[in-house]
Amino acid sequence: MTSTVTPYRSRVDGARAGFARLARAEWTKFVTVPRWMITVGAAVLLSVLVSGLVSTGMGENTSDDGGGGPPPVSADPLEPFQDRGHFVGLPRSGDVDLIARVDSQTGGGDWAKAGLMIRGATEPGSLYAAIAVTPGNGVVLRSGTDVDIAGSGAGAPTWLRLTRSGDKITALESADGVSWTGVGTVELDGLGDDVLAGLFVAAPDEVVVTRQFGTESISGNTAYTTAAFDDVTVSGTGTSDWIEREHPSGPAAQDDTTGYTVSGGVYTVTGSGDLGPDMFSPDSTRMVLNTTLIGLCAMIALAVLFITAEYRRGMIRTTFMVSPSRTRVLLAKTAVIGTVGFATGLVSALGSFLAAKAGTDGLALPDLFAWPVVRAIVGSGVLLAAAAILALALGSLIRRSAIAIAVALLALLVPQMVASGLPLAAANWLERLSPAAGFAIQQTVPRYDTAIGPEAGIAVLCAYAAVATGFALWSLKRRDA
Amino acid sequence: MEATIEVRGLRKRFGATVAVDGLSFTVEPGQVTGFVGPNGAGKSTTMRMILGLDRPEHGTALIAGRRYRDLRSPLREIGAMLDASAIHPGRRARNHLLWMAHANGLPASRVDEVIDQVGLASAARRPAGGYSLGMCQRLGIAAALLGDPPVLMLDEPVNGLDPEGIRWIRGLLRSLAAEGRAVLISSHLMSELEGSADHLLVIGRGRLVADTAVRDLLAAASGDRVEVRTDQRREAMEVLTGAGAVVAVTEADALVVSGLPAATIVEVLTGKGVAFRGIAEHRATLEEAYMDLTRDAVEFRALAEETS
Amino acid sequence: MRVMRSEWTKLRTLSSTGWLIAGAVVATIAVSATAVFAVDTSHCPTPAECFEDTVRLSLGGIRFGQVVVVVLAVLAVSGEYATGTIRATLTANPRRLTVLAGKAVVLAATVAGAGALGVLGSLLAGRMILPGNGFNEANGYAPLSLMDGPTLRASVGSVLYLVLIALLALGLALVIRDTAGTITTVFALLFVAPVVGLLVTDPEWRERLDQLTPMTAGLSVQATIGTDTMPIGPWPGLGVLAAYTAAALLAGGLLFTRRDQ
Repeated sequence: MTSTVTPYRSRVDGARAGFARLARAEWTKFVTVPRWMITVGAAVLLSVLVSGLVSTGMGENTSDDGGGGPPPVSADPLEPFQDRGHFVGLPRSGDVDLIARVDSQTGGGDWAKAGLMIRGATEPGSLYAAIAVTPGNGVVLRSGTDVDIAGSGAGAPTWLRLTRSGDKITALESADGVSWTGVGTVELDGLGDDVLAGLFVAAPDEVVVTRQFGTESISGNTAYTTAAFDDVTVSGTGTSDWIEREHPSGPAAQDDTTGYTVSGGVYTVTGSGDLGPDMFSPDSTRMVLNTTLIGLCAMIALAVLFITAEYRRGMIRTTFMVSPSRTRVLLAKTAVIGTVGFATGLVSALGSFLAAKAGTDGLALPDLFAWPVVRAIVGSGVLLAAAAILALALGSLIRRSAIAIAVALLALLVPQMVASGLPLAAANWLERLSPAAGFAIQQTVPRYDTAIGPEAGIAVLCAYAAVATGFALWSLKRRDA
Repeated sequence: MEATIEVRGLRKRFGATVAVDGLSFTVEPGQVTGFVGPNGAGKSTTMRMILGLDRPEHGTALIAGRRYRDLRSPLREIGAMLDASAIHPGRRARNHLLWMAHANGLPASRVDEVIDQVGLASAARRPAGGYSLGMCQRLGIAAALLGDPPVLMLDEPVNGLDPEGIRWIRGLLRSLAAEGRAVLISSHLMSELEGSADHLLVIGRGRLVADTAVRDLLAAASGDRVEVRTDQRREAMEVLTGAGAVVAVTEADALVVSGLPAATIVEVLTGKGVAFRGIAEHRATLEEAYMDLTRDAVEFRALAEETS
Repeated sequence: MRVMRSEWTKLRTLSSTGWLIAGAVVATIAVSATAVFAVDTSHCPTPAECFEDTVRLSLGGIRFGQVVVVVLAVLAVSGEYATGTIRATLTANPRRLTVLAGKAVVLAATVAGAGALGVLGSLLAGRMILPGNGFNEANGYAPLSLMDGPTLRASVGSVLYLVLIALLALGLALVIRDTAGTITTVFALLFVAPVVGLLVTDPEWRERLDQLTPMTAGLSVQATIGTDTMPIGPWPGLGVLAAYTAAALLAGGLLFTRRDQ
């Protein structure tokens, strides 16, 4: 009977079941379950709404979250900078050559600074260039908010020199005052003819951790440093009236300790406050982006269900029947859920940021197109994508929706849960090592409580996701469907 | 390559139970092959191994000479239905077929074609959660037909269909086989296959019990038995057993007699004055034949009282 | 009642339940132990001036355990909808309020049991570890003991907290009926609210948020010292959470009895 029948051939045109087709199939699977799409949409909407509501109704004056001292100087919330310390200088016009020998330096910790500064005006935030020696970190050249050039590792006593010509200021150091080594050059556009050239000291606040009533508070206690300068020469045209610029809460304002004395050619300057980044500035962008947590919970649940729902109904067999290459199936699912997660995170973050910016009175939100903000917003997309991929892999390994969702949520919500109560050091270690490190991508300014940098943090999360996916792929091939 | 399913020496155990033990058979094109066995005999496990879903310890299962995972567009080579209810309730039937078409690069128009072919056109745009059992079955068959494959493997396709549906699917299966395809359908009820199957694979306790054409099996099972219809049952029984025949009662007014040719039976009955309405060659039903075959292989037999 | 028995059987024989319960207990104790291990008196002005609420510190693991409890509660309901078991349930017992009550009681009892284990384990960890970290008699901290009134209140309150959270999730699950949606909603309600509070700078609104958000208010019950300086007292705080739970159960019950299944 069989030999007389011609075998049948399929009349349908097919194509090789390549990866793109698989991805398309998985995409179709996701978007054709209406409640999944609704959940995504609702989560995004909710996070934007919450952000908008909170900013409109409730913000008032600038927040102060435990940092010590007056608010920072920089107008850009992304580069909080302190321009404090004690400066004494002479007004000069045109070219200047400023030389001094720092004889001794006491107090203020490893990063106390004593050295020379040329600045445009006394007001904090003016253009300046400063070269200083520190007890623990050698010689540094600072300018603006971001120039930080290291010189040699020498400590006091040492010679320092600043030479100004037009807009260019050259910094040099020497061990003996005769042979000079260049440290660096800075260009201060628009410096103008009149400048102040002189001596300064600065000391960063001492970070003090206090635990009381069950919470840790970190505050900055004012630290003082004293330096003695001799062999001071200030060349150039100008008067000999020394002008003093003091930090408002410096020693003179306090118990009338003289911050500045001159005797026998030795200038002794005492001061407090730092010339450097402000580590206590609020990260308002990160606070606003916390609303993406809603989208995160939704994505975790959906990513797990994307695969566990197939196991529950036995549909996984149909899937593997249609596409026998199990590796490709899981990778296709990964691609789809990663894309959905990225879109959700991105839209939710962008919407939250814009809503907060539109409504807020009190929060000083930076410009949308500044790099740290762009990094945070796009990074939120990456965060949700990586979290979704991790959750999918867990779902594939565990196969039961309940347990997989619980495990994924615990892994990612760790910081939120242990926020208060654990001391900062322990909380930081937890944050560095757990998948929750990914939240670091939402940081825009470095702070005292930063556990891990943005790029490093998101890399940790991506590593977790990659390892979990690897395990899932390996396990999928070996087990029965 | 010829459109066949070839199974050689397949063996699989789950823990301590051996589900499939050294199974070998070939499903040929051009006919409907029935895969029959009691519950738990290993039918579904065998099918899963053919589809590469479960891994056998021993043996091979090839479709048109190749392993499942080596098929480039599986749906175009073999269409299978394992579990019709494996559908996400929130998804519409059309979308359920659509993602399968996408995965194998089949045109979306095929989806509508098969939906029409199985008669689900009116329900295709409703979420599958509201489907009746019969509608789910039709959807599963549609999925199997999606790639227009030369080989079809359906697990219990008749389950849940109403009489009209059963008639429809029998016709469908026959026409598919007549086109030159290899069709394998499984069932645990022989009566379902009556009229559909041409060839039988009978499986019991993981082993192949019979691999035969239906015609031959029926012929063997019928033997030379004669069916007698009479209102005087008891008298007829006495008379015939007295004449040396073995008599079984099948219905209130019917007896099945073996051991005597029909002509002799007529003689004996008329000789003793027992009236009868009809005498015919007894044709065994597939059910009877099957019961004979699998008597020893039934794993789950209800405790029934002995019937004479 | 028969209903309770059948609900208990269903919950008990769900294969995930055992794991989830174990997970909840282990998570609670582990996190509590870590917290008490990590905290010592070194950062206090003086050890005696720490004013540390050692009981509250020891019970910190509840925040972790509640995640697992929520998942369990949501699955007890939405799992039935997903698999279609709900039809069998309502066929066996068409009196829907009874079914709801049965589910609630069984869930509450299970969570209470797990919660009690978690709380006891946490307190034990605290009792053993804290004195080594400087929180000892010499500095004015008595070893943790259930005989102490406030400690007992905090412990019982923590167990009640978990039960209320579970019932809150149960109520919302009956409203939303979808696993992913319910989980998102419950966690948004619990966790996003305190996080959002960081955005708020007006102290008056901050206090209101602390008083009215379910997790923050509910966890006030764990406080044993300084209760008059807190935004809301221990029992009133738990009462706020109870109000949320009651609203969720009411909404869920109404929809459960009236909707088609």
